[in-house]
Amino acid sequence: MKKIRNVCLAMLIQSALLTMLAPVIRAEDATTDGYVTRKEYDELKAQMLVMKKELDALKKEREAGPKQDYTERQSVVERHEVAPPRGEAVADTHKQVATEVEPPLVQPEGLLGTTKFLLAGWAEGMFEARNGNVSTFSASFNPIFLWELTPKILFDGRLEIEPSGGGTNVNLVNAQISYLLNDYVALGVGEFFSPSNVFVERFEPQWINKLPDRPIGIYHGVLPNISVGAQVRGGFPIGPTRVDYALYVSNGPTLNTFDAGTAGTLDFNSYTDNNDDKAIGGRVGFLPIPGVEVGYGFETSKPGFQGTTFADVRALVQSVDLEITRDSDLLKGRINLFAQYAWSKVDHAVYDPDGSLGFGPLPLTAKRDGGYAEIAYRPTELDSDFLRNLEMIFRWDHLSADPSGLGDPEETRWTIGLDYWLSPSTVIKAAYEWDKPNGERNRNALFFQTAMGF
Amino acid sequence: MNRMLNRSLLTACLLLFISASLTLLAEPKAKRKTATESSGLVSSDSYMGLTGEELWSNNCVRCHNIRPPTMYGNAQWDVIVHHMRLRANITGQEQRAIVAFLKSSK
Repeated sequence: MKKIRNVCLAMLIQSALLTMLAPVIRAEDATTDGYVTRKEYDELKAQMLVMKKELDALKKEREAGPKQDYTERQSVVERHEVAPPRGEAVADTHKQVATEVEPPLVQPEGLLGTTKFLLAGWAEGMFEARNGNVSTFSASFNPIFLWELTPKILFDGRLEIEPSGGGTNVNLVNAQISYLLNDYVALGVGEFFSPSNVFVERFEPQWINKLPDRPIGIYHGVLPNISVGAQVRGGFPIGPTRVDYALYVSNGPTLNTFDAGTAGTLDFNSYTDNNDDKAIGGRVGFLPIPGVEVGYGFETSKPGFQGTTFADVRALVQSVDLEITRDSDLLKGRINLFAQYAWSKVDHAVYDPDGSLGFGPLPLTAKRDGGYAEIAYRPTELDSDFLRNLEMIFRWDHLSADPSGLGDPEETRWTIGLDYWLSPSTVIKAAYEWDKPNGERNRNALFFQTAMGF
Repeated sequence: MNRMLNRSLLTACLLLFISASLTLLAEPKAKRKTATESSGLVSSDSYMGLTGEELWSNNCVRCHNIRPPTMYGNAQWDVIVHHMRLRANITGQEQRAIVAFLKSSK
């Protein structure tokens, strides 16, 4: 009896042991019931280590390179999210990469790495026959260097290269580094086109300028073309309309004091400063509807040389401008109306007070004005290709006499032109200009020009 | 006499200029089939109710002829529109919508 009881006890113990060991035994066999094997566990662990290394590499790459644009990020994130999982752990790692780490930069086109460089600009050749002057051919090459270091930082610089005498003139026209602070504000430092001069800033390149020459008054007289300094600019919407603005501080102009003819005028081509006072200027534009803009610009400065009697003389330049571009069914084409008029005033001063320069003393409150208005029509809605590529232009431009009364007289010009567009940025121009300064013989001129933008 | 003639001509031109401006502003802009509509492409990017194509057209043509989207590569358009944003004072949203349109129109 006792032996039977011992046998039963042994069987019970064996049963209990078998019950406890069964899962362990099952775990070591290949199985399909949802548990992972040691081999699978080791594989997943190895994959995790590889993923971790890749993640670290991504983090380093992200820190080293600039951020890519949102679209590219989204597409890479989506690719991560739709990648077929190799197990829950791998899928979780993918999600972590997609949500916490910005994916690596997508290489832009070309082999220049993350920066983007573009050589743009234009070239032109011209023939000019002006009454009183010898007729002449001229040419220029105007490369524009654009270098986008990041989507927020851009360098733009332009050279003007032209034959002159027995050699070649190379001028630096502008060189500016700009930074996009946000959607509505951009900062710029360097040599830039004066924002108050709309013609220079927008229409001066010869593949854009519809006539071969530039308007006096705006380009050659009353307004600054180029400023050296710093600017803040941008645009923002107000309801369905838009406002754009630019405010700058610069070296400013120099007051001409040594010559009877130009006394009281402002020299805007002197880019280095002659005193500690800086010019402040800007422009505000309003776009009530697309294609229409009106603007007001100004620049105030002390243009006299430091330490002279002209040091405290203040100059104020103001301008108004209008730009309209409309497609018209009535006229079966496009109309451009561009106009700008500017006034400058230099405070009262006495030029050549002791007569040592031979024209003084000359007391003067120097006022000057000038501007232009241009209308162009291109029949863009006609069926004929030839007619569609023609554009007719008419311009009036004006510059008042030098304020001393001893320099250049008042000048008003009327110009008509006919352009033929070979491509959107290649044009052949012909123009005739009536130009008769008061008291002088006429300086009428005939122009032919071709220009190509690239 | 010459001065009077000049002033008369100037006045006449100014009147012509103003009347042309008023005529153009009063006339609604023609609704024309756009390049992308013709090709079946529609830009999904918009700003202030204007599509990227409309922003591209409205802003570029204010100063110069429009150059076709195929004229430059994507990276080149990035640089060009960045540059033009500074020159024309367009907003960041407009810049992005224009670039998206140009890249999608090839």
